Amino acid sequence: MIKGKIIDHTSLIIMIFSYIIIWMLKTSFPEYSQMLTLLLYYIAIAQAYNIFLGMTGYVDFGYVSYFGLGLYGMALGVSYASQNNLSSSEAIILGMILSVILAGSVAGVVGGIALRLRGAFFAIATIGLSQALRYLIEGAKIWGGAEGIIIAKDLRKLFGEEGFSYATIILPDTGIFILAVATGIIMYLIRISRLGYGLLAIKEDEDAAKVFGVNTTLYKFVAFIISAVLTSLVGSMWTLKVTAIYPPESFNITFSVEFIVIVMLGGGGTVLGPLIGASIYSLSKYYLGVYLPGLQLTVFSIILLLIVLLFRQGIVGELRSFLYKHEIVRKIIR
Amino acid sequence: MHLLEVNNVTKRFGGITALKNVSLYIDSGEKIAIIGPNGSGKTTLFNVINGVYIPEDGRIIYMGRDITKLSAHERAKLGIARAFQITRPFPGLSVRENVMIGALFGTLSEKINTREALKIADEMLKLVGLYNKRDELAIKLTGPERKLLELARALAMKPKILLLDEIVAGMPPAKVDEIVDLVKNVAERENIAVGVMVEHVIRAVIRFAERVYVLDRGEIVLSGKVEDVMRNPKLREIYLGTRFKGGV
Ligand SMILES: Nc1ncnc2c1ncn2[C@@H]1O[C@H](COP(=O)(O)OP(=O)(O)O)[C@@H](O)[C@H]1O
Ligand SMILES: [Mg+2]
Repeated sequence: MIKGKIIDHTSLIIMIFSYIIIWMLKTSFPEYSQMLTLLLYYIAIAQAYNIFLGMTGYVDFGYVSYFGLGLYGMALGVSYASQNNLSSSEAIILGMILSVILAGSVAGVVGGIALRLRGAFFAIATIGLSQALRYLIEGAKIWGGAEGIIIAKDLRKLFGEEGFSYATIILPDTGIFILAVATGIIMYLIRISRLGYGLLAIKEDEDAAKVFGVNTTLYKFVAFIISAVLTSLVGSMWTLKVTAIYPPESFNITFSVEFIVIVMLGGGGTVLGPLIGASIYSLSKYYLGVYLPGLQLTVFSIILLLIVLLFRQGIVGELRSFLYKHEIVRKIIR
Repeated sequence: MHLLEVNNVTKRFGGITALKNVSLYIDSGEKIAIIGPNGSGKTTLFNVINGVYIPEDGRIIYMGRDITKLSAHERAKLGIARAFQITRPFPGLSVRENVMIGALFGTLSEKINTREALKIADEMLKLVGLYNKRDELAIKLTGPERKLLELARALAMKPKILLLDEIVAGMPPAKVDEIVDLVKNVAERENIAVGVMVEHVIRAVIRFAERVYVLDRGEIVLSGKVEDVMRNPKLREIYLGTRFKGGV
C-alpha cells in the first residue's frame, strides 16, 4: 500500500519515531513513567478518534462510550476466564474480543441511526449515549451494576502473585504503546487512501462529495466503526491498569470533551495532530494540576475558545495551511 | 436509445413549481444547450438529473435504466458529472486533491488507485490550464479559476455526460471561446455528451451546441436546432422584459 519515495511518508516516520522516543523515555525515567503512559494513552485515543472526528468533522459527544465498553469488555473477559479456569492469554484475548464486539455493535447501531443527521444534529443526538449506558448498567444491574467490576483477584488467579505486576503494568503499558503505533499507522494509511480522500471530501462539503461519487453514508459509517473499535481496545488495556471499573467513570462525558479538545487542538485529520494535541494537553493538565489546581477547567475552556476562534484547523493544520506552498513542508507536516 | 431521457419531470419547492412536465433527451456524445432567464429552472433541472433532488413526478432514464430515485453518488459512478454554477471546491484541500477526488470516485472509481488518480488529476489540470496552481489550496483560487477547477474535477470523473452550469458566466469573450473550444475538444475525444446551461444567450455557447432547449418558468417552451430556435421570434419574447443582457 505504501509506495513511492520515502520523503513522501516523512510524517509517518516522524510520528512513529516520536512514539518510540516517548516509550524509551518512559522506560529510562521511572519517575516520569506514569505521566508518559498517560501521554501514550491520550495519543492512542486521539489518533483513533481522529479517524472519525478529524477526518469527517463530525463531533461525537458519546465517544467515551466506546472507551467504556472496551473497559467492560476486558473486565467481563477476565472474570469469565477466571471463573472458567482459562489461561491468562485466553483471558486477555477474550477480553479484547469482547471489547471489540461490544463497541463495534453499539457503534453500528448508533452510527446506523445518528449518522443520517448532519453536523450539529449528530452531535446533539450523541450527547445522551454515555449517560444512557451508565444508567442501563446501574439500573438493570447488569455487569456488576453500580458496584462495578473488580478484577484484581481474577488477575492474581490467572497470572499468579508474581505475574500480577506484569498483568497490570507491563502488559497494558506495552499494549497501549503498540496500539498508539498501530492506530497511527492505520490513520496514516486511511489518510492517503481512497477512504481518506472520501472522508476529507465529506468534511469539506458533504453534498458536493455525494455529487462527485462519494458514498457518504457508507464512508462515515466505516470511519465511525474503525474509530470506535480502536478506542475500545485502548479501553481494554486500561482495565488491566486500573483493575476496577465503575459505571460513572467509564461513561463520563467529560472524557468525550477531553478527547475532542485534544484532536482539535492538534489538528483534526492530520497525522501528527494527535501527538501534538495529546502532548500539550496531558503535560499542561499534569502541571496545571500541580501548580494551579482548581483552575484546570478554566484554562481548558480558554484553550478551547482559542481553537474555535483563532485556529480552527488546530496547530498542525494551521501550520500546514500557512506553509502549504513549500513542498517539503507539505510532506513533513501532515 | 438515447443516453439520457428526462420524461415529464415535475419538481416543486413548496408553492413554487420549478420544473413543469419537462421532457428532453441527449444522445451519446451529443452537445446540447439549455437556455432560459434567471429562475427558469436550469439549475433545478441539473439537480434532478444528477440526484440532488428527486422529482415529484416523471422519470429519468439513463442508458435504458430508470435512475429517478438513484442516489447522487451512484449516478456519479454511472458517468453523470457536473460542474456547479456556484462553485463548490473542497476549500481546505489542494487543487490537485480536489481533482483527484473526481478521478477516485467517478466512473473509473475502484479500477484505479490514488497514484493513477493523481496522474489523471494532473492531466486534467494541464488541460484547463491550472497545472501550475496544483499545489495551492483550492480556497486561494480566484472566481474564474474555480470555474476551471469545477471543470477539471468533473472531467476527471471520466463521465459519459457532463452537465455544465453557467461555466462561462462572467468571463471575458476571449476566455469564453477558449473554454468552449476546450470542452468541445475533450468531449469529442472522449465521446462525452455535454449539456450546458446558460442564462444569457451567449453566441459561442449556443453555437457549440447541436440542439437547444429553451426553458421559461419551469417549462420547455422551444426546442430544436440552434439556427431554428435562434430565429424564432418567441425567443425574444421570453427574454424581453426579463433580464435580457446577452445578444441574439
Ligand atoms: N432549494 C430550493 N428551495 C426553494 N426554491 C428553490 C430551490 N432551488 C430553486 N428554487 C426555485 O426554483 C426556481 C428555479 O430556480 P433555478 O433552478 O435555480 O433557476 P435557474 O438556474 O434557471 O436560474 C426559482 O424560482 C428558485 O427560486
Ligand atoms: Mg442556475
